[in-house]
This record gives sequence, structure tokens and C-alpha cells, in this order.
Amino acid sequence: MEISFLQIILLSAYGFIAIWDDLNPGFKLGKPVVAGMFAGLIMGDIQMGLLVGGTLQLMILGVGTYGGASIPDYMTGAVVGTAFAVSSGKGLEYALAIAVPVGLLMVQLDVLGRFCNTYFQHMADKGAEQRNYRKVELGNVLGMIPWGLSRALPIFLALFFGQDIVKTLLDNSPEWLMNGLKTAGGLLPALGIAILLRYMPLKTYWMYAIAGFVAATYLKVPMLGVALVGLVAAGVAYARSDEPAVSAVVNEGGTIEDDE
Amino acid sequence: MMNNSNVCDKKIRRKVFLRWFLNGESGWNYEKMQGSGYCYSMMPALKEIYKDDPDALQAAVKNHLQFFNTTPHTANIILGVNMAVEQTVKQDGKDAIASIKTGLMGPLAGVGDSLFGVIIDTVLGSIAAYMALEGNPMGCLIWVLVSAIGITALRYAMLEIGYKQGTDVVANISTKMKKITEAASILGLTVVGALIPTVVNAKVPYVFEWGKVKMPVQDMIDSIMPNLLPVLFVVLIYWLLSKKGMNSTRVIIFIIVFAILFNFLGILG
Repeated sequence: MEISFLQIILLSAYGFIAIWDDLNPGFKLGKPVVAGMFAGLIMGDIQMGLLVGGTLQLMILGVGTYGGASIPDYMTGAVVGTAFAVSSGKGLEYALAIAVPVGLLMVQLDVLGRFCNTYFQHMADKGAEQRNYRKVELGNVLGMIPWGLSRALPIFLALFFGQDIVKTLLDNSPEWLMNGLKTAGGLLPALGIAILLRYMPLKTYWMYAIAGFVAATYLKVPMLGVALVGLVAAGVAYARSDEPAVSAVVNEGGTIEDDE
Repeated sequence: MMNNSNVCDKKIRRKVFLRWFLNGESGWNYEKMQGSGYCYSMMPALKEIYKDDPDALQAAVKNHLQFFNTTPHTANIILGVNMAVEQTVKQDGKDAIASIKTGLMGPLAGVGDSLFGVIIDTVLGSIAAYMALEGNPMGCLIWVLVSAIGITALRYAMLEIGYKQGTDVVANISTKMKKITEAASILGLTVVGALIPTVVNAKVPYVFEWGKVKMPVQDMIDSIMPNLLPVLFVVLIYWLLSKKGMNSTRVIIFIIVFAILFNFLGILG
């Protein structure tokens, strides 16, 4: 199945809207799993989109662009990967073999987009100098163009020109590579989890991570159930922190880190 | 806070909120980061506050075009406080306004990033990804809906709180947010603990054979603890990330090379 021109346009437009959403309202259109779902919808195979997006999502759970740092862009990866996986009919490993390198390459374009916007910042500064406040406002809003193109263009180019190139490349790729990538697909979510654990207060609350592990491994509780158990634990902790006298006694064993 | 001059009425506050909501980070750049977005969002309020004083308006616009960067969600508190203060002190207090902004953006980014960027998205994102791997789009829809309705309402509420309480808000909200963040971390860590066995996949296909005795290695590992390998692998990556010069991109390359190698050797399948 070939990817139609209309589909390429729709997927590129999705990339533009998704980065705008990711920066501003935050309806999660820029998250890989949601992007995968929509890309799957456009390609007519929502299951494949969910599978590709879900796998990529787990690799970057909780990783945000704090303070303006660029991270691998698996939203774009999910869109391109899903499109190629559906059009070739080759499934998840094929999609990941495309999505991961695309996501990594996108870091460079993200930097470029942020860099180009300096031009519009200067436009706004000049507007303030001339008391032309319309210009100040445009200087902000037009910044969306480099941002949007930094996602829409690569999607368009990859899907428009890359289809045949990527196809030949992957048709001839050796079996050890494809099997290895399949194994990598199972291991890569460990990265997202490890990054998260680094962000979270694991040293203070490690026991809750073990509780979640035990619930899933030994008790086979589904994810939503685990989240509810976690909610109970969080509620108890919150209620206790309202009573300083009690919590002082409880904390007798003392976590000194609290003082920072 | 003396809000006797209620220049920034509800209509203006809504405008400021919407501008930030729709285009607060559109102009993000390396030089001033959210500077142009902040100024753009404050413009309706500034035009009202300084409507009889074009010189002051220009000074205020220049003031707000300066460097600014914080979590988009909690930035609403700053916008609210800013409006409350600026309509009262105007350009006489321009240094105070600048220092309130810079003083607030650091702490609010700390709490905001972990609460809105990490914890909420981890819990909802892992449920969404987990359901997606089973071919179920419900998790995605829940994530989108909670963000579009719940989080958006919360953002607007923060702007209103910031405006109504002025500068007092900071002390109150940061202690309360700290408690919420702590509780939310517990929820997050419970989910992450459960995520390890459900999403990380590492199995050993190798089977030991001594004459008639056949012993699949995976069975031996399982008898120690189910999902031992995924846990060990997460520990390995956790440790790797603490090494100097390691970033997520390098770790991804490491994992791919590691997987191809061990798969080729028949150790991992």
C-alpha cells in the first residue's frame, strides 16, 4: 500500500498542530502515544499506531523539555514510523527501526527551530522601540512558523521522498539487525523508567516503587488498579502531612534529606 | 494586597489567560526564552493600565520583553500576581515587578515541572501507553480529556488565585504545592514500580543441556524472582544515567547496540 498525497499532507499538518499544542495548550497531541493513535487513524490502522506510539511513549515517560533542553522527538518518530509500518505491512520492529533514528535526528531540528526564533524576538524588540505593539505581538505569534515547520517539513520529506529509499533499505537489512531491534524494543522502555526514577524522590519513597512492582508481578494487578493503590498511599501521606505533631513522631527514624 | 484599583477586570484577565494558553511559548527562543510570549500575553492588561500614558506603556512593554522562563502551567500564577501588582504600583514599581517575576519563575518552575511535567504525565501517560500496547485507545482519550478539561481549568484557577491574592499567594501556594507534589510522587513511584515488569521485556532463550538434562535458563531466573531481568536492566540504566557525559540519546544508542549484540549471541531473545 502506498501512502497517498492526502495522507502525507494530513500527517505533516498533524506534526505542525502537535508541536503547537505541546508548547501551548498541552492537550497531549505531542505525546508519542497520542500521535501514534492519530497517525494510525489517518493511515487506516489505529492498532498499529497505538502499538508504535505506546512503545515510544514508554521510552520517554515523564521526560519534558525543561528549561529549553531538547529531547528525542518521538512524536515525529511515531508519525513517520506508523505511516511506514502501515504502508509496508511489516509491523512494529520496522516502525521502531525508523522511529528511533528519526526521533534522535529531530533533536537537531528542534535546536534549529529554537534558534530561528531569535529573529522574531528581535522583531518584537524593534516593535517595542518603535511603539508598534502589533509588531511586538507578531514577533511572538510568528515564532510558531519555525516551530511548526521543524516538525511538518521532516514528516513531509520523509514520507514523500523516503518511502522508496526506506523500503529498499529495510528490505535488504539483515536478520540479525531486525531481531536485535526487536530485542531493543523490549529493553528501551527501561530508559524512560530510569529517567523517571532519577526525577522522582526514589531515595525517600523507594518502598512505594517496590509495592507497585509486587502488585504487578506477583499479584497481577492491572495498571489502573495499581494506580488506585498508589492513590490510596498518596492520600494517606497527604492527610498525615496535615498533622505536623503526628508526622514528627512518625519521622523519628528521620530522613535527613528533607532539609536539603 | 491593595487591589482598590481594579483595572484588570475579569474580561482582561480572560484575554491574558487565553493569550498565554494559546501562544505563550510560540515565540520561544534561546535569547529571551518565553520573553516575547510573556509580553504578548500581558499586552491587553498593559494597554488598559497605561492607557493615558504612552511613555509608561512603552517602558512596560520593554520591561516584559525581557528574559522569562518557567513551567507554562504555573506561569499563570505569575501573570495573575503581575496584573494585581502592576495596576497598583505602575511604572513607579517597575523594579519590584521585574523582581517578582524573576523571583517567582524559579521556584514555580521547580514545583510546576515535577507536578505537571513529570508526575501527572507519568501516571496518565503510562496508563495510556499500557492500554495502547493492548490496542486500546481509551487511555489516550482519558489523557487528552483530563489535560484539555481538568488541567486547563486548573491553569485558569491559578491565574485567578494569583490575581486575587497578589504577592501573598507565593508563600501559601509553595508550601501547599510541596505537599501535593510529595503525595503525587508516591502515586507516581507506585505506578513506575508496576511499569517495570509490564513494559520492559527481557528473556533468555538459552537452554542448558547436559545429556538428558534440559534446563531453560529463563526458568532458573524466574525461580529466583519473576521479572528479575527487567529490574536489573532498569538498575543498569539508572546507574548509567548517573555517569558523567551520559544523556538519553547516548543511552538509547547503548541499549540498541547492547540488544543487537546479546541477541546475536543468543543470550537475549
